[in-house]
Amino acid sequence: MTRVFITGLGVVSPVGIGVDAFGAALEAGQTGAAEIAHFDHSAFERHIACEVKGFRPRDHLTAAETRRAGRCSAMALAAARMAVEHSGLSPERLQGERTGVIIGTTMGEADVLGELESAWLHQGNHAIEAVKIPRYGTTLLPIHVARAVGARGMVQTLPAACAAGNYAIGFAADQIRAGRADVMLTGASEVIEKLQFAGFVRLGAVSPDCVRPFDVGRKGLLVGEGAGMVVLESEAHLVRRGGVPIAEVGGYGLACDAHHITRPHPDGEGSLHAMREAIRTSGLLPEQVDFINAHGTGTHANDRVEAKVIAEIFGSHRPAVTSIKSMLGHCMGAASAIEAVSCVLSITRGLLPPTINIEEVDADCAHLDLVLDRTREGRADVVLNNSLAFGGYDAVLALAKPGLLPDPAEVLA
Amino acid sequence: MRPLALTGLGIVSPLGVGRAAFFEALADPEQAARQAFEPTTEILLDSLPDAHTAEIWGWDPAHWLGKKGHRSFDRLTKFLIVAAKHALEDAGLKEGGEFLHLSPAEVGICSATAYGSLDAITELNRVAELEDPRYINPTRFPNTVINAAAGYVSIWEDLRAPNTTVVDGNCGSLDAFLGCATHLACGRARAFLVGGGEIVSEPLYLAMHHLGLLRDERGIGLIPSEGASYVVVEPSEQARARGATIAAELLGYGTHFEPPRSEALLAHASSTSVELAILGALGDAGLEPSAIDAISSSQSGLEELDAAEREGIVAALGPDVPILAPKLVLGESFGAAGAFGVASALGWMQGLPMAPRVGGRAPSSPPRHVVVTAVGYYGNVSAIVLRSGDRP
Repeated sequence: MTRVFITGLGVVSPVGIGVDAFGAALEAGQTGAAEIAHFDHSAFERHIACEVKGFRPRDHLTAAETRRAGRCSAMALAAARMAVEHSGLSPERLQGERTGVIIGTTMGEADVLGELESAWLHQGNHAIEAVKIPRYGTTLLPIHVARAVGARGMVQTLPAACAAGNYAIGFAADQIRAGRADVMLTGASEVIEKLQFAGFVRLGAVSPDCVRPFDVGRKGLLVGEGAGMVVLESEAHLVRRGGVPIAEVGGYGLACDAHHITRPHPDGEGSLHAMREAIRTSGLLPEQVDFINAHGTGTHANDRVEAKVIAEIFGSHRPAVTSIKSMLGHCMGAASAIEAVSCVLSITRGLLPPTINIEEVDADCAHLDLVLDRTREGRADVVLNNSLAFGGYDAVLALAKPGLLPDPAEVLA
Repeated sequence: MRPLALTGLGIVSPLGVGRAAFFEALADPEQAARQAFEPTTEILLDSLPDAHTAEIWGWDPAHWLGKKGHRSFDRLTKFLIVAAKHALEDAGLKEGGEFLHLSPAEVGICSATAYGSLDAITELNRVAELEDPRYINPTRFPNTVINAAAGYVSIWEDLRAPNTTVVDGNCGSLDAFLGCATHLACGRARAFLVGGGEIVSEPLYLAMHHLGLLRDERGIGLIPSEGASYVVVEPSEQARARGATIAAELLGYGTHFEPPRSEALLAHASSTSVELAILGALGDAGLEPSAIDAISSSQSGLEELDAAEREGIVAALGPDVPILAPKLVLGESFGAAGAFGVASALGWMQGLPMAPRVGGRAPSSPPRHVVVTAVGYYGNVSAIVLRSGDRP
């Protein structure tokens, strides 16, 4: 059973496009929150979101790709191209059936569907533009990427709501470990769309101003968007081509709360199991975890449960904890993929991005070693990327400095 | 792939709800085709009054789920829950809502859909677009999230092992078998519900209409269908140890993606993908092409796609293998189609008539090894290999 390495990163985020811009913004504690620009929000009582600014598909896609792809696919493809370039993989090495693409999302090309349905509902059947219909398919997210890089292996979309990035990266790593692929392009993508924004507002989940994870005065999340993609390679493939690993994918844990469709289990049962499994299947002990990228949405229910789970698993060991959703908002399906990119940057740079906007830490979360306000220098050799999602999904992914984890063949034997 | 046992089947189909009703309908394929395809009764009245679909005729969720507890569920969720409930009971894992074998933390779901709960999205968009977005019902909002339907199944049946949904167009519910095999091999659960669901909805029907994919007066084109089907999949040795009846075993999975020759194209048919997905599944199963007794194919009535599939099948398996076409009696159910193909194969393995057949020789006996194929619209194809089990 092979080790699986991350060898390339790509990101389109509310705080920057490209790994360098993204990393610099996180280190500076910049927020992506601003008044919504993509749709008319005047009817709502909430007006702030974390949109991706200045994303022009033609900067990253060919003219034909731009015609074919909706915004969600375009961001995924842009991030994938960046990740491939970062990896140094030649086009020849990506072509063929040993390369696959797995991409997570919550709602895929929701804005394409919204546009089609708006025309239909207001003007009738004749107003539907047939040429736009094929751009809707959620199936297409990995298809566009596979076409662009010449991948002929598996192409799957994993809609796992706000845990989709972890689901996709973990499952893609599984396929390499099982010998079904040498290279996987994986991650997740999401767009902000009016109906989805309305839904979160109606659920009472949206903050009026900013995201304050773990703060006593937290008022909810801000909806975000973007894409995070990584290149995964088997150790043998990496050695053959003389490539350089950036980080190693450890184990991951999955569970389902089977409790409520939108709220986490109050005792965090599924989340506990997922985090324990991520640690165990990486061949680690809890005290070896340096840093946790929290789900940290800024909702009362999430943050309380997450803090409880971390306390129960780690006890007196206090890994540093941060929520970059304080800067990015909640990029939903893309969240844990973008955050995985952030985790890898922490591993490589030894810098832990801050949780901004905290004024007073909630007593329920006071035991956490939160990275407050400013980026902290610190060890991040072993990192957990935590996520929870609609459907009662729990997914935790372990990432580490290359070669530091025990041999997976021994751990999983 | 290590063989995995299929020990229970639950199905909500245009031919009937439940294994017995479905198999009874399959026993008379000609009548089944007449039974499945009718003018739509309840979904599409506003748009195209002459629309034909393969719906779950006379669907009454209260009959299957009771009167309470599912008011906020959408149509897809209810299909999936009924299929799940039946599959778990058929496998002997649950009875009367209680676990007889295994525990909630040991049973998960690998589900598929291509278009999810489009009806739920349209329902909310109607309110948002034609009334006021502030009036949308927050209890219905979660239904717009693609994985929510499978999430509700976990809640209803108390299944706490991993719950996954995969979207890969028509290939999704065969890809769900890869998900199951992966998670079982990694010890993340001891059994999974594997399959998928789809609904006929007004926007999907309109999309097919505008793209010119619907069956015309010449009989060319597809008829949209709906429903859900799950099988319980678990390690074969575990199934035998608990005395379960093994309907079939999953031996292998293969998939392939082939881009179109022209940059201008998006949808296209690829015989190469069909051939390589089948050969990949055979390789995974450790079988030679000569071992295959029948194909549960993806033939749907779309000429170009069907021809490419037949060409790929012949290239992989030769000209004699019977090519069976369950969609010709069930309609095109997209993300659920692979699961319906599996359910049909289980029926043939029990001795039900192997029909409709669109290629190859006439079969003389129930098949031992069946390849199930799923052909997507973008050059994506998946295949699995099944071996018949104990069930008479």
